[in-house]
Amino acid sequence: MFIYTLLISILDLPKLFVSNSYNLMIEVLMPYKKVMFFVPPLLVLALVLPLAVSAQESANCLACHSSMKGRIKTIGGNLIELNVDSEKFQASVHSALACTDCHMKFTDNPHSSPGASVPQDILSLSAKIAKKYPVDPVAAAACSKCHGEIYQKVLTSVHGRNITEKHQTDGALCLDCHGSPHYIVPVKNPESKVSRGQQIETCGKCHGNKQIIEKYKLEENVLDSFKESFHGRKLHLGHTKVPVCASCHNSHDIMSKNDPASPVFGNNRLQTCGKCHKGANEKFIPAITHKRPGPIPHYTEKALILLVLGVFTFIISHVLLEAFSDIRDAIFRKGGHE
Amino acid sequence: MSQTNTTTAREIPKEIERFNVTFRIQHILMFTTFLLLSFTGWGLKYADAPAGVSSWWIRVWGGPETAGIIHRVAGVTMLLDFIWHVIYLGYLFATKQMTINLKTTVIPLPKDIFDVIQNFLYFFGLSKEKARFGKYSYAQKFDYWAVFWGMFIIGFSGFALAFPMLVSHIIPRFATAWIWELLSIMHSDEALLAIVFILFWHFYNEHLKPENFPMSWLWITGKISTEKLKHHHPIEYDLLFPDAKKNKD
Repeated sequence: MFIYTLLISILDLPKLFVSNSYNLMIEVLMPYKKVMFFVPPLLVLALVLPLAVSAQESANCLACHSSMKGRIKTIGGNLIELNVDSEKFQASVHSALACTDCHMKFTDNPHSSPGASVPQDILSLSAKIAKKYPVDPVAAAACSKCHGEIYQKVLTSVHGRNITEKHQTDGALCLDCHGSPHYIVPVKNPESKVSRGQQIETCGKCHGNKQIIEKYKLEENVLDSFKESFHGRKLHLGHTKVPVCASCHNSHDIMSKNDPASPVFGNNRLQTCGKCHKGANEKFIPAITHKRPGPIPHYTEKALILLVLGVFTFIISHVLLEAFSDIRDAIFRKGGHE
Repeated sequence: MSQTNTTTAREIPKEIERFNVTFRIQHILMFTTFLLLSFTGWGLKYADAPAGVSSWWIRVWGGPETAGIIHRVAGVTMLLDFIWHVIYLGYLFATKQMTINLKTTVIPLPKDIFDVIQNFLYFFGLSKEKARFGKYSYAQKFDYWAVFWGMFIIGFSGFALAFPMLVSHIIPRFATAWIWELLSIMHSDEALLAIVFILFWHFYNEHLKPENFPMSWLWITGKISTEKLKHHHPIEYDLLFPDAKKNKD
């Protein structure tokens, strides 16, 4: 398919120099000047190298996209990343997929669409999320081809409904947590954006973002309170069993903390905390909260800090003065004091 | 702790026993567990120290899991050591091996405050006399009672944090919303106080002071030379050897 497109354009090349269609061409391709810069040499490569057209779908796309750099504005005015790192793609869990498995249909795109028809369910899903993914909603919906069950969970979650019902564009969907679909690695891999090591930061992109917190009236201290908690400290030190965000809040089917079905709602915590803390009871479960400390712990801490400073002042002044007086005695009062 | 059997022996011994073997073992248990708790707890308190220092430090102690076990075992051992000490004191009182004498007691008295003032006057050159102590100087009393304070504040909160389900039964319902936060603040802040206290107060007085450097060997021998006793604890010395005083006079 791609080769075909390239051939058409190379056949058109002489015209560019002889006719005024050159200007027309430039006008149409204006946003793709950068692309043109790469295309001619790559065309030669593509023609010289014997490529197995059908089996090497992704190789064909990567022939250009692996060496393209930077972002480009589409006709619709959206910025898209041109580069696909072919090494990282080959190392990802999706390396066996062909580009067109997900990029089934192009809207707002210079390439002509692949021929295969898009399944109806993907199309309707893509319509729901089109506002979030204006460039290629079909590809964003295509995750459900393989991950259908999980995708359904996400759509009914607080994150999913924010996009499908409230039509917001800043809510989380697949890529916001997992990163580019081209480079997804297993969750056990520390490179994964949802791995234990990176999950806090990934959720924190939104849950630590002031504007988003204000917009959605989210709990405002979640990141700091986690980092200061025993869980967060131990995670930082490399503890391998300590919980991260999804351990308590769930991942794909995440719910608002005010939703009675949420694992962190009310006494649901008995079970949630009980996963690690055997025998977790109603008096224990308030131990972990993302709220700021109440007045009692707050003022106790202030009082204790005063106590520490007071004791410290006494100790330091006593030790220093005593040392000085000992030195003084040793020099000036030799033998005077027994 | 005050053995008040006033010796009437004419000959003054070279040294006398200040702490018996039980006290010495209690002290050894106390400081080994204290060091273990400080080392492992420090890494957790300052987990996000720059450049991953704390992660490295905790790896030295076998990683977070192992360090956690060390911390809990040491904490329980320290609490048991403390309970043993209190029971032992009760036993000494019950069997009259120990009685309260104002000159030898470790109980803080108004005199200690005057001693502090007296010593500060001396440090500033406003007085030619240092304070005269009984068996325990105010510095030593401070050292001793600091452990009690630490045991109640850090010990109890630590126990509650290590065995929350067990302790949750005695926590009143109205307190559950803030008690856990309070416990961890108490534990962490008072532990810092304890470490600072030991590092500056105890280490200076018992290790760094020129007369004690590198350490006072009392912790292992339990004995103090009468010479040193006379110098540092004159009131106790006079009490133990009244004859010496008379002779001197």
